[in-house]
Amino acid sequence: MNVLRALAAEIFKMFAADLWLTLTALAAVAICAAGLATHVLAPAALPFVLAVGVLAALAVGVARGARG
Amino acid sequence: MISLATALPVVGAAFIASTVEVVEAFTIVLAVSVVRGPRPAIVGTVAALVLLAIAVAFFGPLLASVPIHGLQFVIGVLLLVFGLGWLRKAVLRAGGAVALHDETAAYAKQTEALRRQSDAHGAAGDWLAGMAAFKAVLLEGTEVVFIVLAVGARPGLLLPAAIGAAAACALVLAAGIVLRAPLAKIPENSMKFAVGALLTGFGVFWCCEGLGTPWPGGDWAIGGLVALYLAAGIVMAAAVRRTAGRTLA
Repeated sequence: MNVLRALAAEIFKMFAADLWLTLTALAAVAICAAGLATHVLAPAALPFVLAVGVLAALAVGVARGARG
Repeated sequence: MISLATALPVVGAAFIASTVEVVEAFTIVLAVSVVRGPRPAIVGTVAALVLLAIAVAFFGPLLASVPIHGLQFVIGVLLLVFGLGWLRKAVLRAGGAVALHDETAAYAKQTEALRRQSDAHGAAGDWLAGMAAFKAVLLEGTEVVFIVLAVGARPGLLLPAAIGAAAACALVLAAGIVLRAPLAKIPENSMKFAVGALLTGFGVFWCCEGLGTPWPGGDWAIGGLVALYLAAGIVMAAAVRRTAGRTLA
């Protein structure tokens, strides 16, 4: 039971060490996917928009972490 | 036929990421071996490896039945979140906002905890020590399995990813057997920095491929993405260091 709990905590830590970082990254992916589905975003622009969105997510995570 | 531009980053990512995880597991297994002897360390390690092998044998074929674009998208998102977490932590450590991971201190702490446990539980200490080794190998091994499955999420790439991870296990084990000490000299944060950038790059690449949008430049785009996140991480670490210096001054 103890091992299972530790495993669950480890898996949670793998993907949500910083909830804001995770949420911002997921939001970047979701916005890109929605933009593509609604034809607001051109397929050729998607890679660049997503790459920049992920960069913004990283900046948010680092800024929050640096503030403690 | 898999191109070198595709296979090399996969082998490299699996190798470096697995090295970081295997070193952490090795530190605990070594502490168990020193405090209670090699038997509980070996039994715990082998039991965890068998359980991981069963999990891979069970879930591996299930992954093959998932449509490739859907699988790439899901794994891309998971890889993105996982890689960003590593990159963020490495940036904060490089910038001095978070303390660096100290393998020698982790080893000393684990050894002390096991000694206290041994004194308190007597003969049951072997069982508890074996469980500590089992837990460490299972937890770190789960991350290795995820990394191998994630970076190898395209037909033909699972083998290069597995080769990278197996090479990391063999190297850490060989170095550990020769040194018989925690592998404290491994530049853990630099490796985490590189792996964070690699996994984030792969994540962004797989997300777009999963959404049915090919990258300009094909597989070579992975190298560009990794370079982008590496450079951004270095700039952010410098900014964090400057901010921390200004706060202290």
